[in-house]
Amino acid sequence: MVTFSILLALVAVGWLMVFAVGYDESVRYNSLEFFSTPIGRQTVWVGISFVAFLLIQLIDWRFWQTFAYPIYGLGIMLLVGVLVFGKTINGATSWLSIGGFTLQPSELTKFGTALAIAAFLNNYSTNLKNTNSQLSILGLLLAPILLILLQPDAGSALVFFSFLILLYREGLPGAYYGIGFGVVLFLLLGLLLPLPVIVLGVELVFILILSFYMPQRNISIFSALVYLAIMVSMAVQTQSVYLIIPTTLILIAMIWVLQRKPNFSFGTLMFVIFIAGSGLAFASGYVFNNVLRPHQQDRINVWLRPELSDPRGSLYNVMQSKLAISSGGIQGKGFLNGTMTKLNYVPEQSTDFIFCTVGEEHGFIGSASIILLFSVLLIRLTILAERQKSAFSRQYIYGIAGILFVHFFINIGMTMGLVPIIGIPLPFISRGGSALLGFSVMMAVILKLDSHRYQI
Amino acid sequence: MASDKLEYRQIVIQSVFVLSALALGVKALQLQVMDASFRLRADSSTVEQKVVYPARGVMYDRNGKLLVYNEPLYDLMVTFDRIDPDMDVDKFCALLNLDRATFDALLNKDWRNPQFSKSVPFLFLGKLSPEKMAVFQENMYQFPGFFIQARSIRGYPGTHGAHLLGYIREVNRTEVRENPDFYAPGDYIGDSGLEKANEKYLRGVKGKELVLKDNIGREVGAYKDGALDVPAVSGMDLLTTIDYDLQAYGESLMQHKAGSIVAIEPETGEILAMISAPSYDPKLLAIGPDRGQTYNALINDPNQPFFDRTVMAQYPPGSLFKPLVALIAMQEGLLQPNRAIPCPGGYYFQGQLMTGCHAHEPIRSVEDAIKHSCNAYFVTVFREIVDQFGVYKPDQGLDTFNRYLDEFGLGSLLGIDFPREKQGNYPSGSYFTDKVYKNEQQWFSLWIRSLGIGQGELLMTNLQMANLAAAIGNKGFYYTPHLVRELRAETGAVQVPENEVRRVQSSIDTAFFDPVIRGMEKVVTSGTAKLAYVPGLDICGKTGTAENNQRSKEDHSIFFGFAPRDRPKIAIAVYIENAGFGGSWAAPVASLMMEKYLKGTISPERKYLEQRMMEASFLEELLTDASRFIHGN
Repeated sequence: MVTFSILLALVAVGWLMVFAVGYDESVRYNSLEFFSTPIGRQTVWVGISFVAFLLIQLIDWRFWQTFAYPIYGLGIMLLVGVLVFGKTINGATSWLSIGGFTLQPSELTKFGTALAIAAFLNNYSTNLKNTNSQLSILGLLLAPILLILLQPDAGSALVFFSFLILLYREGLPGAYYGIGFGVVLFLLLGLLLPLPVIVLGVELVFILILSFYMPQRNISIFSALVYLAIMVSMAVQTQSVYLIIPTTLILIAMIWVLQRKPNFSFGTLMFVIFIAGSGLAFASGYVFNNVLRPHQQDRINVWLRPELSDPRGSLYNVMQSKLAISSGGIQGKGFLNGTMTKLNYVPEQSTDFIFCTVGEEHGFIGSASIILLFSVLLIRLTILAERQKSAFSRQYIYGIAGILFVHFFINIGMTMGLVPIIGIPLPFISRGGSALLGFSVMMAVILKLDSHRYQI
Repeated sequence: MASDKLEYRQIVIQSVFVLSALALGVKALQLQVMDASFRLRADSSTVEQKVVYPARGVMYDRNGKLLVYNEPLYDLMVTFDRIDPDMDVDKFCALLNLDRATFDALLNKDWRNPQFSKSVPFLFLGKLSPEKMAVFQENMYQFPGFFIQARSIRGYPGTHGAHLLGYIREVNRTEVRENPDFYAPGDYIGDSGLEKANEKYLRGVKGKELVLKDNIGREVGAYKDGALDVPAVSGMDLLTTIDYDLQAYGESLMQHKAGSIVAIEPETGEILAMISAPSYDPKLLAIGPDRGQTYNALINDPNQPFFDRTVMAQYPPGSLFKPLVALIAMQEGLLQPNRAIPCPGGYYFQGQLMTGCHAHEPIRSVEDAIKHSCNAYFVTVFREIVDQFGVYKPDQGLDTFNRYLDEFGLGSLLGIDFPREKQGNYPSGSYFTDKVYKNEQQWFSLWIRSLGIGQGELLMTNLQMANLAAAIGNKGFYYTPHLVRELRAETGAVQVPENEVRRVQSSIDTAFFDPVIRGMEKVVTSGTAKLAYVPGLDICGKTGTAENNQRSKEDHSIFFGFAPRDRPKIAIAVYIENAGFGGSWAAPVASLMMEKYLKGTISPERKYLEQRMMEASFLEELLTDASRFIHGN
């Protein structure tokens, strides 16, 4: 019931926010016209989602495990179909038009993939420490990711990385996460900081840990470190990459010293991190300039290096979004009183940037409440997951929790400039029927599974 | 299959969820609660405060004639992004008399320059004539993106009164800093004349309008339905005391001359005309493209057209001073109206000629002395005033004399509602004791005798001379001379300006004025200013001829007087530099002014005189580049 209440609250908030964005006091609709307005259509979608929710409660709970792969397959087929028959909106062929309503198959595919991965993990032959299993799961993920990238809709494709949360819970080795985290960190650092600074930073961390492990080792190491620090600071000051060579040579010398001591493996690890990190940081500039497309570069720049962005161009959206949220202050301007969101300052304000309306009209109280609601829901889902007797149920719930989390964090984070702009909706709140229906189905299945939590 | 040893990962995942939510919460806290500057910017980017400029007050003369008004000026503005790409450029160009190349040049700015933006309106074509504007406005709907912006500059129905009316200019940084409530950069402020003196009445109060703008800067309506808007309050109109016709007539009489005329209505202190020559057309200094060039030409002109000779030039009064000397002497009981003083061709002391005099009939009274402007008479009388406490106490005597000068507004500011007034000068007893003769054991009235005939250290502005004429005509009192009678607000409500108009009464007995005024009347009927005689006007006056400091040049021609003799309607002072004898130029000019004012027209038998005055030229080097800006050239 807790979960369902939160759900209802979020859907209600979403409906009100969509209403607020479209609200124009000068216009009065009659009942027929109402359904052609955005808020009218959203109302219909709420109704459809509710019906779907109820229907799912009537279906046998085992159905989902049994039909996990067919549902996944249907999703993949729809993704193929959308590439052929789909409707192109804003440059992405993501929508299927069915009887006046447009559907986004990628929303259904998220659900299907969650079912499929849970089903796959539930196989007795599956072992996440096993490369074959890992590759199979990669395959399950890559199929929808690639098809969605073809639309292209990088944001929705990115959501599939959320299954890493489920996979972590189910035993994918932590080292993968450490390496992945390290790679991303160094790539970002490479964009943010000049290379010598990164080298210096890594070396300093190295020195720190080293001195911790070898508290009273000989003075020669210490003096080598001092020399190193001097070299590095010179490298920073001159901004010259060539000074890395002598500092690296010194490091190698230090590793050589360490090799004769018992802490050999730790030294090697640090050395690898140092070399790989520097390499990645060095490579990130190349990746940025040669792999990413201009609009993607813009988004990264807006996020990390706003000073490089055009305030009237790429920076505009995020600036306006931040300004709108900020203008709400603590208490907000009041329901329907948001001026920035209403006057089209904020892009995509009823869909991806719906959080601006919350922030502007309801202030910090409103935004904190939404954030709190989502975190309670997420924690609640982990608790639900852990109390399932059926492994499939737990895995499915973790999968959905991951999807919700990625949507929640990226969407709200991007409106405030915390993460780069990635166009994915805020679950239950953003306008958009497919997403609402998709999330409702996901949640309905969770509640249905949970009602049979003591069964296997 | 997950086993129990992986259950710790639940905590890790939950921590990731909580920490992420916390990060979002902190970011929201920072944006919405902590960072107020960001929020302020948010307000300014949706609600724009627009200043509503009040209309500057206009000015009328004493008969309701418009002196200064506001002239709308139209700028054609354009927002590049909103231009219809299919607009009929040929028609557009035809309406504005442009050719295609000019059109392209005006429209395609350097977009890399941050000064221009395609989404922000910029000036396409400045200062459209009202006719062009009207034609264009009718067709404007065909050219989206273009709009007309009205500004207002000062307009002048006539070409006279430049010094008097003054001009406006853009405020400078200091003025903005000191008065941020009233001025913003680019605003106009009165810089001279009535524009400056009455700035606080004329400027009005700016209003504000809060408008909502959408993301591309379009106005979409009033903020809170205009509840917070403040309407502008127009500046007050000045109802001045000036008679514009008289002012214009005076300026035409003063063309080709340097000098000034001030005419006052004695019974009120209202200034009827205030002319400084050489003058220029006030339009030349109206805000406009040629203003800077004109300004430089005028400021470099050797005849100093910017120098307002009515209140800023300080001249020795010369013989104009003599009636006042007679009045003071009579009040001090040292001079009987019928006293005769011989004049053997000047003032002699111990057989030596001290101050020369011209040949004239014997002087049998004060009346005669004024009529003939006898130097010997007034030096004698003046010395008696100074020596009345004994020849060794001339300072005491001089200060007694000076107290009367105070009563006539000499040596101090009269307090006219006009900027840059100078106070003139008279020397005090201590000035001679402590400064001029401080190395002497004693000084004597003989040494300062030239003060008695208006020379020496005496200095008066022409305004003070005219005021003195008014005071004599009033037989002993004057009102603070002033230029603004009333202020009229937008609502029609009328109020009196703050500048105080005082009635200043002298201590000289009214009876003593009669012989002086009779003498001044004779100056005109049969004395030194016979050219100023107009039948039926009963003009009383006194000529003066002040020595020119520059030896090579002619003396300054001076006259002051009033008319009619009883209950005078006009008092006037005329000062013409380098013109020579007072009776020849200043007196006839003054009489023409009085005739014009009192009768409305100049009688046919005096037309020759008017023509002679207008044609006379006493400017030596007017043929400079600047001269083309000056009247009558």
